Amino acid sequence: MLAAIIMLIFICFCVHFQNTAGQFFSSGHTNNWAVLVCTSRFWFNYRHVANTLSVYRSVKRLGIPDSHIVLMLADDMACNHRNPKPATVFSHRNMELNVYGDDVEVDYRGYEVTVENFLRVLTGRLPPSTPRSKRLLSDDRSNILIYLTGHGGNGFLKFQDSEEISNVELADAFEQMWQKRRYNELLFIIDTCQGASMYERFYSPNIMALASSQVGEDSLSHQPDLAIGVHLMDRYTFYLLEFLEDIHPASKSNMNDLFKVCPKSQCVSTPGHRTDLFLRDPGSVLITDFFGSVRKVEITMEQPYLLKVQEKTYSYVDQLPVSEIIHQKPKQKDWHPPDGFILGLWTLILLVFFKTYGIKHLKHIF
Amino acid sequence: MAAPLTLLLVVAVTIRAALYRSSLAEVIAERVEVVSPITAWKRVIEGLALLDLGVSPYSGDVFHETPLVIYLFHFLVDYAEITFMLADVISAIALYLAVKEYNKQVVRKKQKFALEADRYPQDCLELIRSPKEMLYIPLKVAMFYLLNPFTILSCVAKSTCGLNNAVISLFILTTIKGNALLSAVFLCLATYQSIYPLTLCAPAMLYLMQRQYIPVNYRRASFWWFVVQYLFMYLGSLFVLICLSFFLLGSWDYLPSVYGFILSVPDLTPNIGLFWYFFAEMFEHFRLFFLCVFQINVFFYTVPLSIKLKDHPVFLMFMQLAVISIFKSYPTVGDIALYMALLPVWSHLHRFLRNIFLVSCVLLACSVLFPVLWHLWIYAGSANSNFYYAITLLFNVAQILLVSDYFYAFLRREHHLIHGLYLKKKDGSEATLVLK
Repeated sequence: MLAAIIMLIFICFCVHFQNTAGQFFSSGHTNNWAVLVCTSRFWFNYRHVANTLSVYRSVKRLGIPDSHIVLMLADDMACNHRNPKPATVFSHRNMELNVYGDDVEVDYRGYEVTVENFLRVLTGRLPPSTPRSKRLLSDDRSNILIYLTGHGGNGFLKFQDSEEISNVELADAFEQMWQKRRYNELLFIIDTCQGASMYERFYSPNIMALASSQVGEDSLSHQPDLAIGVHLMDRYTFYLLEFLEDIHPASKSNMNDLFKVCPKSQCVSTPGHRTDLFLRDPGSVLITDFFGSVRKVEITMEQPYLLKVQEKTYSYVDQLPVSEIIHQKPKQKDWHPPDGFILGLWTLILLVFFKTYGIKHLKHIF
Repeated sequence: MAAPLTLLLVVAVTIRAALYRSSLAEVIAERVEVVSPITAWKRVIEGLALLDLGVSPYSGDVFHETPLVIYLFHFLVDYAEITFMLADVISAIALYLAVKEYNKQVVRKKQKFALEADRYPQDCLELIRSPKEMLYIPLKVAMFYLLNPFTILSCVAKSTCGLNNAVISLFILTTIKGNALLSAVFLCLATYQSIYPLTLCAPAMLYLMQRQYIPVNYRRASFWWFVVQYLFMYLGSLFVLICLSFFLLGSWDYLPSVYGFILSVPDLTPNIGLFWYFFAEMFEHFRLFFLCVFQINVFFYTVPLSIKLKDHPVFLMFMQLAVISIFKSYPTVGDIALYMALLPVWSHLHRFLRNIFLVSCVLLACSVLFPVLWHLWIYAGSANSNFYYAITLLFNVAQILLVSDYFYAFLRREHHLIHGLYLKKKDGSEATLVLK
C-alpha cells in the first residue's frame, strides 16, 4: 500500500516538476544510510560498544531501518563472561538504558571488523558472495551517517588492537565514494582521542564532519558503573545521545544545534566540526536529514498522467536466422606483413647483392 | 676440405635432429642458461600469437625480438627447427671460409713478406707457422662451433642466439674477404638484433683499412675518409633497417621494447651473466648509476684494445666478441660458443698460454654445476641465489682469464717475433719475460 502511494508520488514528481519538486527534495536526498563502527574489542572497551549501540538506537528510532544500517561491532560485550548482566549493554549508570535491546542487528561482528572490510563497505568493492545486509547499497541520492569510535591518535584510528586506518585512507575512500556517486551528503562523526585529525584530510565535496576532540586532546569517558565495573560511555556520545533523545522524526532542529552538543564544560575536550566541504549552509540542514529516514508522503486527488511508452514492434521476419546469430564470431584474421615492407626489404637485399657482385658478374655466380 | 666439412655438417645436423625428437628439447628450452628473455623461443611464439590476435606483440613484457625476426618467423614458424639448424650450418660455413681466407690472406702473406724482408730474428723461426699445420684449422673451427655442447643446447632450445651468431659469422666472413659494404650491412644487422656488436666496428674498420693499404694514422686524411665511408654505410643501413621495421608494424613501440629492454635490464631472471644479481640487490636510488657503469663496461675496452691491437684486427675481433659475450646484459651459452669457435685459429699460442688447464677445469666444473645449483636453489630450497651467482661469477672469471691469457700469449709471441725467442739481458744472461 505504502509502495503504491510512493509510486504515485514519483509519477506526480515527473509531471509537476516545477511546483512540488523544489520543496519536496530541498535536501536532495531520497534515502538514508548509516555506517556505525566500533573499532575496539575486549571488555575494558565496553564504552565504545555502548557508544555505537546508542547511536544505532537513536538512528533506528528516528526511522532508518536495519536494512539501511551497517553496524560493525566486536560484539563481545553483551555475552562476555565478565558481564554481570548478560545480553545487555547499558549506556547510563544504574542500568537505566539498555541499548542492546531485543532487535539489534550486527552486520560485521568479531574479527570481521577490519580496516579492509570497512573500506570495502564504504567503496562497495565487496566480493559477489557478500550478502545484502553487509553492503552499503547507497546511491547518489543517499545521505550517509558514518560514526566511528574507538582508540585513535593523530591521524589514525586503531582497529581491534591490530591495525590502523589513517586519515588519508579515509579521505581517499570518501573520494572514491564521491566519484562513484555513492553519496549525496555525508555526515562523519568520530568519537576518539584526537578525533579532529581524522577529518583534516577530507577533500571530497558534501562532507560534514564532527569530532569529539581536537588534535592533542583526549576524549574522555563519562561515568563508570560500579556494578559492571567499566566506564559505560564516552562523554561526547553520552551528551550526543541525550541531545538525540529529544529529536523526533518531525523535528526541525538543524546542525548548528548539533555543533553545540557537549561544550568544553561538559566534555573536557573541545569538540570540533568541519563544514567547509559542505555545500549547503549547516543552519538549513536538519538533524533528521542524517539521523532519520523521513519518508515524505503527499496525497493528491488529481489524476496522474502516465507517459506514453514507445513500443518496439519486432516482426519475426526481421530477425536473423538462428545459425547466424549463434555463429557471430569475428573471423580470425591472420596478421600478414604489409606489402610495402616485403617489397622494400627485398629491393634492398637485391640492391646490396647487385652492388656487391655487379650485374656483369651474375653469369659467373650462377 | 669439402668432404670432411660435409661430413661434419651431416654429423652436426644428425645430433641436433636426434635431440629435437627426444624429450630433452622441452627441458633444454626452459633452462635459463640457454635462453634469455630476449632469445627465448616461447616468447617468439607468444609474440606471433599476439600478432594474430591483432594486438601489438610488444605490449606487455613478453616479446623482445626485433621486427625482422617477426617477419622471418611469420613464414617459417612451422619450419623452426630447420631454420635453426640452417643458421648453425651457415655460421659454421661462414667461419670456415673466413678462417681459410684469414690464413691465406693475412697469415701467409704477412709471413711471406716478413721472411723475405728478413724481419724475423734468427731464433724465432720455430714460431712461424707453416701452411701444413694451418691446413686443418678451418675445419677445426667449424667443428668447434658445430659440435660444441653449448651450440647444440642453444640450437635445440631454438634460441634466437643462433640467428645472432649466424649474422655475426657472416659479418666476420665478409670483413675478412674485404667487402666493406657487405661487412657494414651484416654488422648493422647484428647491431640491430642486439646493440653490443657496435663495438665490432673498430676491428672491421681496422682490418679493411689494412687490406686496402690505408695507413692507420689519425693524422692522415685517407684514414678519416675511410672511417667516414664505412660509418656512412653502417649508419645508413641501420637507419634504413629501423625505418623498415617501423613499416612492418606501423609503430615505434619496438624501440623501447627491444633496445630499451637490452639497455635498462628490467628483467632480472637469473642467467649466466653478471647483471641480475647486482640489480636484484640494488637500491632504486643507485640503479641508473650502476646501469651506466655496467653498460659502459662492455663498450669501454674497444678503444684501448684497438690502439694496442691495431696491427692485428682479427684478434681484436675475437677479443671484442669475447668481451661482448661476457659483459652483455643477457648472455647465454650460445654467445660463448661463438668466440670459443675461434680458438683454434690461435692454437699456435699454446706454448705461451699459462692458465689453460685451470680455465678449462673451471669452465667444465661450472657448466656442470649450473643445473645442480639451480635445482638446489629453486626446487630443493636448500640453497639460495648466492650459490648460483657464485657459479656465475666463477664462470665469468674463467672466461675473462681465458681471454686475457690468449691476449698475453698473442702479445708475447709478437714480442718474440720482433726481439727473438731467447731473450738476453744486456750482459748476455738469460732474461725472463714478466707481465707487468
